[in-house]
Amino acid sequence: MIRKSGLLVFIALLATVFVLVYVFLGFAIRLSMVYTLEKAVGAEVNIKGVSVSLAPLAVRIDDLQITDKHQPTHNSVSFTKANAELELWPALLGYYVVKDLSLDGLAFGSARKRPGKVYRSESTDTAEPIDLESVLKLDLPDANELMARVNLQSTQLGKELQDKIAAQRQAVENLKARLPKKETLEDIQRQIKELTESKVEDAADLARKTQQLKELQDRLKQERDNVGQVQQELAQMREDLRLSVGRLRAASADDWQRIQQLANLSEGGLAPLSQILLGDFWGSKIAQLESLYRLVKPYIPEQIGSGTETVEEPEPTLPNRILPLPNQPYPDFWIKNARVHWLIGGGDAVVQFQNITTQHSIINTETRFHLSVAELPRLVALEVNGDFAILEEMVTNLSWRLDGLALEPVALGSGDTALSLTQGMLMSAGELNLHNNQLTQQAQVLLRQPKFAPSNNRYMQQLVEVLDRQDQIPLQIAAHGLLSKPDISVRSSLDRVIGEAILGEARTKIADLEKQLRGQLDNKLSEQLGAHPEWLTALTQQESELEGVQQNIQEMLSAKLSDATSSAKDRLKDSLLKRAQ
Amino acid sequence: MLTILAKILKVLNSEDSPWQIGWAVGLGLLAGLLPFGLLTVLILLVVCLFTVNLSTFLLVWGVSGGLMLIFGDALEAFTWQQAQDPALLQLLAAEPLQLLHLHHTLVLGAFVVGMILLIPVAWLTTVLVKQYRGTVMEKIKKWKVVQALKASKLVQIYEKLN
Repeated sequence: MIRKSGLLVFIALLATVFVLVYVFLGFAIRLSMVYTLEKAVGAEVNIKGVSVSLAPLAVRIDDLQITDKHQPTHNSVSFTKANAELELWPALLGYYVVKDLSLDGLAFGSARKRPGKVYRSESTDTAEPIDLESVLKLDLPDANELMARVNLQSTQLGKELQDKIAAQRQAVENLKARLPKKETLEDIQRQIKELTESKVEDAADLARKTQQLKELQDRLKQERDNVGQVQQELAQMREDLRLSVGRLRAASADDWQRIQQLANLSEGGLAPLSQILLGDFWGSKIAQLESLYRLVKPYIPEQIGSGTETVEEPEPTLPNRILPLPNQPYPDFWIKNARVHWLIGGGDAVVQFQNITTQHSIINTETRFHLSVAELPRLVALEVNGDFAILEEMVTNLSWRLDGLALEPVALGSGDTALSLTQGMLMSAGELNLHNNQLTQQAQVLLRQPKFAPSNNRYMQQLVEVLDRQDQIPLQIAAHGLLSKPDISVRSSLDRVIGEAILGEARTKIADLEKQLRGQLDNKLSEQLGAHPEWLTALTQQESELEGVQQNIQEMLSAKLSDATSSAKDRLKDSLLKRAQ
Repeated sequence: MLTILAKILKVLNSEDSPWQIGWAVGLGLLAGLLPFGLLTVLILLVVCLFTVNLSTFLLVWGVSGGLMLIFGDALEAFTWQQAQDPALLQLLAAEPLQLLHLHHTLVLGAFVVGMILLIPVAWLTTVLVKQYRGTVMEKIKKWKVVQALKASKLVQIYEKLN
């Protein structure tokens, strides 16, 4: 039965709900955002207003401020206006596809009108400042530490050599059992002698003795073959030993090269001063990118093994209440275009993004971003270009060009070893590539017209004197390896100059270090080779002894047998002659 | 509580046919199981267009919505486990079904359970209402307890609602 007024009631009901939602949605979003953000950051969050428009479907957020919990008088992040225009059809399907996003007046660390409340104040800042004092106290690297850091190949090969010698000793003991005993050989020799020196009575006696002699001869041949085999195996062992020793010596030479490289001894001094000063600093900065990797890691698909590997079925989980559809029409969230006006250093920067998502395979393109800043009070220009995609793995490419950044005074270290960079102009260009959490990065940094303030420390004064004379300090910084613990290499042509100028007295120490390192490595090698010469001699001795045994057997086989035959023949001849007469 | 009981009694004794009450219970259950969305709006449209008993519908909607607070997580987990079939996922990838949010585990699970229960519940309720009106109501009216209750507060509320 149809209710005639039903449609009208339904439309009225729907319209009421619609109006209520429209009126209160902005307020609800505002409350929800404030609650969620305050819970996340642990400090007061202020949003002036949130409004929703229906044509086009858009959300606008006015004046958002997130208090910095470490400095409540300032905001950690703030912006004056954000506008996100959503596409209707994907929104009805449950996907957040933002056609255009604009963010104006984005600022980090701006001052608040009144201090914000802090709900959680635990310190999560783990970045440590450079402790130049401890860096300078390092003096020279310790030989043992350097040896440990090189991961010596010769250690492993030395152990293998020692194992091989032990195995060969055991094998030789087993081989000895296969050799004829001295008594046996003497017994055979005695029997042959008896046979050859005994008189042959008649033809039958000759045949019997020949048979006995043949049996003895067969035994000797058997023993001779055994000795031959053992000799061959000993020769093989000697060859193996020779090859292993060769490999060990080569590895030791390679280790020495690497130690030299690490200690930079080949460049004639304690050259990598820039590495010591900047290496850890640069590494810690790069490691901060780890947070980016952690953010996107859940979205990186698991590597599917190739070949016959069996892929284990994952335990079903409830990641986001959406079933894993085979043909998803849109990514879960996708910002097609975003434009951010970033208030920075007394001017504003524009950052543009295209295709922000974590499901790049669905849209078949990567996220691109471009940052451009120019003519700021303390910066001539900065350009950053990059792209980012999560497909089989996360791939990020980034390049930058920084021009004319006027540095703020920086205090490095404290007390006697304090060093201050009072002025300088920084230029830099570089590239960074990330494959999942594997980093490859190259950067050129140029510090122009640097001025440093000296301290009371004699070395620091010398260092400042040299640095101040430089018109520019060039640095080449490379990093590769794990993002969380990259291997940083900082090199500068200035290192040598500084080394020459202020570390002259360290030259003796460097020479001592080189001598100490060489000595330690040689000792290690001779320790690893320790058992080798004695064993090689033992093997050679064994071989020569066997040579003697084999010669002895050969003599027994040839000389004695021929004497016996000729003697028998002579006796037979005499006996026949006597019968004929 | 007394008001709810009075409302139930009022409905049971009303002029509405047992089928109107039965469908109201069935559709109320379906609407209550589902998270609010387009499917709920469609159910509301059906309820408004047809002479389904509105009071019963709203009452059952509220009660079954409360039940989902208890059983929602379990139903969602069960649906996730059961809905991994490639053919089903292929079907759910169709945009009209996504519009109904049937690719969400909770919506899909609630919709399937609600649809399975809809007709049996509607039919069972109809039978029970008929039974009540045919036999139970007359017998109950003759009970002394009921006659005593007629003078009670419950009946007063009932009369007031009338």
